Amino acid sequence: MKKLKKIGPSTVFSYVFLTVLAIVCVFPLLWLLVSAFKSSNEMLANPTAFLPKDWTWENFKTVLFTLKFTVNIKNSVIVALWTTVIATFISCLAAYGIIRFFPKLGNIMTRILITTYMFPSIMLVIPYAVVMKTLGLTNTRVGLVLVYMSFSVPYAVWMLVGFFKTVPIGIEEAARIDGANRLMVFTKIVLPLVRPGIVSTAIYVFINAWNEFLYALLLVSSSDKTTLSVAVKTLEGADILNWGSMMAASAIVVLPSIFFFCLIQNKLAGGLADGAVK
Amino acid sequence: MKAKKVLALLLSLVMVLTLAACGGTAQETAAPAADAGTTADAPEAKELSGEITFWHCFTQGARMEAIEAAAASFMEANPGVTINIETMSWGDFNTKWNAGLTTGDLPDISVAQNTGEVAEMINTGVLADISGVIDSIGRDRFSENALGDMTTDGVTYGIPYYSHAQVMWYREDLLEEAGLEVPTTWDEFYDAAVALTKDGVYGAGFSCSPNDLLCTRYLNYYVRSAGGSLLNDDLTANLTSDIALEGIEFWVNVYKNCSPAETINYTVNDHATLYYQGTTAFDFNSGFMISGVASNREDLLEYISCAPLPLYKEGDSYYSAEATHIPLVMWENSEHKDVCEAFIEYLYQDDNYLYFLSAVPVGMLPSITGISDQEAYLSNETVQQFSEEAAVIEKAVAEGRAIGFEHGPSVQAGLLTSQGVVEEMFQDILINGTDIPTAAQAAEDQLNEIFETMVG
Amino acid sequence: MKQPDRLSGRTYRTRRIDVTRWIFVAPAMAVVICLLIYPLCSTVLYSFTNKTMIKDTFKIVGLKNYIDILKDESFYKAFGNTLKWTVGSVLGQVLVGFTGAICLNQVKNAWAKSTFRILCIIPWAFPAIATAMVWKWILNGIYGFLPTMLVDLGITEQMLQFFSDKNLVMPTLMGINIWFGAPLIMVNVYAALQTIPQDQYEAAQIDGASKFQSFRHITVPHIRTVVGLLIVLRTVWVFNNFDIIYMITGGGPAGASTTMPIFIYDTGWTGRLVGKASAASIMLLIFLVILTVLYFKVINHWEKEDR
Repeated sequence: MKKLKKIGPSTVFSYVFLTVLAIVCVFPLLWLLVSAFKSSNEMLANPTAFLPKDWTWENFKTVLFTLKFTVNIKNSVIVALWTTVIATFISCLAAYGIIRFFPKLGNIMTRILITTYMFPSIMLVIPYAVVMKTLGLTNTRVGLVLVYMSFSVPYAVWMLVGFFKTVPIGIEEAARIDGANRLMVFTKIVLPLVRPGIVSTAIYVFINAWNEFLYALLLVSSSDKTTLSVAVKTLEGADILNWGSMMAASAIVVLPSIFFFCLIQNKLAGGLADGAVK
Repeated sequence: MKAKKVLALLLSLVMVLTLAACGGTAQETAAPAADAGTTADAPEAKELSGEITFWHCFTQGARMEAIEAAAASFMEANPGVTINIETMSWGDFNTKWNAGLTTGDLPDISVAQNTGEVAEMINTGVLADISGVIDSIGRDRFSENALGDMTTDGVTYGIPYYSHAQVMWYREDLLEEAGLEVPTTWDEFYDAAVALTKDGVYGAGFSCSPNDLLCTRYLNYYVRSAGGSLLNDDLTANLTSDIALEGIEFWVNVYKNCSPAETINYTVNDHATLYYQGTTAFDFNSGFMISGVASNREDLLEYISCAPLPLYKEGDSYYSAEATHIPLVMWENSEHKDVCEAFIEYLYQDDNYLYFLSAVPVGMLPSITGISDQEAYLSNETVQQFSEEAAVIEKAVAEGRAIGFEHGPSVQAGLLTSQGVVEEMFQDILINGTDIPTAAQAAEDQLNEIFETMVG
Repeated sequence: MKQPDRLSGRTYRTRRIDVTRWIFVAPAMAVVICLLIYPLCSTVLYSFTNKTMIKDTFKIVGLKNYIDILKDESFYKAFGNTLKWTVGSVLGQVLVGFTGAICLNQVKNAWAKSTFRILCIIPWAFPAIATAMVWKWILNGIYGFLPTMLVDLGITEQMLQFFSDKNLVMPTLMGINIWFGAPLIMVNVYAALQTIPQDQYEAAQIDGASKFQSFRHITVPHIRTVVGLLIVLRTVWVFNNFDIIYMITGGGPAGASTTMPIFIYDTGWTGRLVGKASAASIMLLIFLVILTVLYFKVINHWEKEDR
C-alpha cells in the first residue's frame, strides 16, 4: 500500500468521514457527562447550554451515597462477570466440540442455537420466571445469571465457532500422540491459540449482561440485589424527577463499559473476522 | 393440555416444598393490636415472628428513608421479624405484580397506585381483608369515600396511606405580567392559556402517551365539571355523550393552540418537567408539584400557586374531579398476616406517619384525621409557605373520588385509565386528523370490548 | 484417565471419544434446551388459549387468536413498521459501519487509528435506558440541542419535531439505532479487512486493475461471509428489539413507531391478553425462521464459491 500516493483524495475522505463519525459517536456521551455536573436547576433553566456554569459533584454524591447506587454497581458487576465467565467457558467447550467432533452436524447445531435469539424477550420472561420459581431461584443473582445464558451462549458459540476454525488441527494431533487427553489438549493447546477471540467474545457477553434490563427487572425484586439498569429506570419513574441525578446515574451506567472497551479494544479488533473468513 | 398438567404438578410441588419450609415458624393468631397504636413503642408483649416483604414505589430519597427507618425500628422492637423492603417505580410495580400472578413472586404488603388498582386486585382475588388494622387505627379517622372505594361485600381490602387531589397550578408572575386573573371557568382558562403562549412559554401542555393516563384524566376533569361521567351507570364506557365530545374538542384545541407539539407522546413525568422548568404556565396536578419544582427549579418556587379546577360555566357549584388515595394492601398469599397487620399499624403511629408525610410536604396529605392539626405537622416550612394551596387540595381530596368511581368502585374504572385507549384516541385525532365523533365511537367500542374480556 | 486410553482396545477408545465429544457440547445444549424448549412450548400452548395475565383459568380456543390477529389492522401496521425499522436500521448500520471500516483501513497513522477506533465504539456501551434519555434530551422538540442549533444556524425555520411528527419519528429512531449499532459492524468488518493478504492487491495492481476492480474482486469476496453472518445476527436482534423504541417513544405517536415487540407488549402486558400475544410471538418467530433460512442459503452459496 505504501506505493500508493501519499495523501490521496481517499485518505482525505477517510479522515473527514471518521472525524464526523467520531463526533456523532462521542457527542451524546460528552453531553451526558457535562450534564451530570450541572445542578438540576441549571439544566432545566438553560437546557440548550452545553457547558455548566458551575461544576458540581452533588449529583454523583446523591446517586452513589443517598440512592445507594454503589450496591447496584456491585450487583451489576457480580452478575455480568459471572455471566461472562460461565457463558464463555460453556461456549468455548461447545464451539470446539462442534468444530472438532461434529464437522457435519456443526452447521445445523449453530443455526439451531441462533433460534434462541429469535424469540422476543418480552415473551420469554414469564416462562423464565416460572422456571426460576420451580428451581427456587426467584429473586437471586444466580437465577439471573442462569437466564442470561439464554442470550449469551448462542451468540458466544456463534462467534467462537469462527475462531476455533482457525486452530490448526496438526498441533493438536501431535499433542494427542504424546498422550495428552482431549480435555488437556483443549485447555493447554487450543484455548491459548484462540485467546484474542475469547477475549472479544467475553467483552460482548459482558456488555450485554451489563446493559440487560427486562429480565433484571422481573426476576429480581429485592432492592439489595437489583442491577444498575433497573435502578436507573426506577429513578426515571419516580414521582418527583430529579434530572441532575438522572444524568449522573446514566453516566455511571455507561462509563464502566467504555472503560472496558478501551482496555481491550486492540484484542477486540482481532474479532469474529479472523475465524469466520477461513 | 398435558403441558398444563405438568406445569400445575410442578407448581404444586413447589408450593408444598415452600409450605414445608415455612411450616416451622410459629403462627400466632393476629395480634389484637388495639394497644399497639396507643404507645409510641412497639408492643413487646406479643412475640411476632416471620419474614415479610414490602413492595413500595416511594423511590424518592426522603420517602424511602422514612419507610426504611420505620422498618428498622420495628424489627428492633420485634427481633423475630424480618421486613424486606423492595423499591420499584410505579410503572414497574404494575408489571411486577401482574407477572407475579403467574410466577407466584408476590409481596406480603404493598402499595397500590390508586383505588382503581385495588379494584383490579380485588377482582383477581389476591388481597386479604385489612379491616382489622383499620378498626384498630379507628375507622372513623379515615375518609368514608376512600374506604368505600376499596370495600366489596362489606370487606375492606385497602387502607389509604396518603391522599392528594388534582388542582390547577399556575404561575403567578406570568399571569400578573399579562394582566390576567386566575381563571375560574374552562373558557377563561383557555383564553388565558392562549394569551400566555408566547416567547418560548406555552399556556399549558396536553400530553397523550398511551403508556400513561393524562388524556383520560384531563377529559375526566372537563366531563365531571359538567356533571357527566366517562362511564355509564351500567359501567360501559361513554366517550360519545355531548359533553364528552365537547371535552375532546376542548382539549384538542388546547393542544393545537397552547401546547408544544412534542407533548403528543409525553408521559406524566415528561409533562410535569415542562412546568418544573417554567415552559408551561398552567398545569393540572396534585401537591407533588411543589416538591417537583423545589428539587428542579427552586428559583420558581415563589411564583407557583394553585386554584380549584375550572368550572364548566360561571356560577356552577364547586366540584372535585379526581382525588387519589394511595393505599396499602395486604396480600392473601402472605403467611404472616399478623406481622403485616402490626407493621402497617406501626406505620400509622404519629411519629412514623409524620416523618413519612414530611418527605413530600403538601404533596402527601394525611389520610387520617388528627394529624394535620398537630404542631409537628404544621411547623414544616413548606406546609407553612403553601398553606393556602394545601387548603385548596384538601377540599378537593374531601370531595373527590378516583376517575370513574362516581358509579362506585369498579374494574372498568381501573381499565379506563390503564389501557391507554383514550390517549390513543387523542393521538389518532391529532396526528391522523380523524374526526372527533368517529374516533370517540371507535375508542368507546374498544373500551367496551376490553371491559367484556376482562370482567366478563 | 490416561491409562485406560493406552491399555484399552480400539472399540473402547471409540466409545470414549463418543462420550467426550458430547461432554463438550452438552452444557451449551442443556442451556438452550432448558431455556428455550419450555418457553417455546408454553407459548405455543397459550397461543391456542384465551389465557389472560390476571386469571389462572383458561380454555382452548383453537385458532381464534391467530385469526383475530390477522384481522387486526394494527398488526399489519406494526409488521410494516418492523420491516421498515429492521431494513432501515440494518442497512444503515452496515453502510456506516462498512464505510467506517474501509476508511479506518486507509488511515496509516497508528495513533489516529486507535483514537478513531475507541471513539467510534462508544455508542455500543450505552444501555437502552441511557440511549433513550440522552437522545430525548438532545432531540427534544422544545429545548433540544440539535433542533435549537438547526434553527439558530438558519437551516430549519422551526424546531424539528423528531419524536412527535409521525413522518419523522421512524427515521429518527432508525438513526439512533444506526448510531448504536454501526460500531459493532465497523469493528468486525475492519478486522475482516485485516485478514486479506496484501499481495493479492499488489498482484492486481500489477495486472493494471483499477481500485474499484480490486475492491470488487478481492475485498468483497473476502469479507462477504463475515458481513453476511453479522447481518443475520443484527437482523434478528433489531427485529426483536424492544427497549430502545419502548423507552424513547413507547410506540407513538398514534402507533407510528409501534413495531412487533411493542405490539406484543401492548397486547400481552398492558392488555393482559397472553393468548393473543403468544400467537403474535409465534408468528414473529416463524417469520424470522424463514428469513434466516433465506439468509443462510445465500451465505452457503458464498461459502461454496469461496472454496
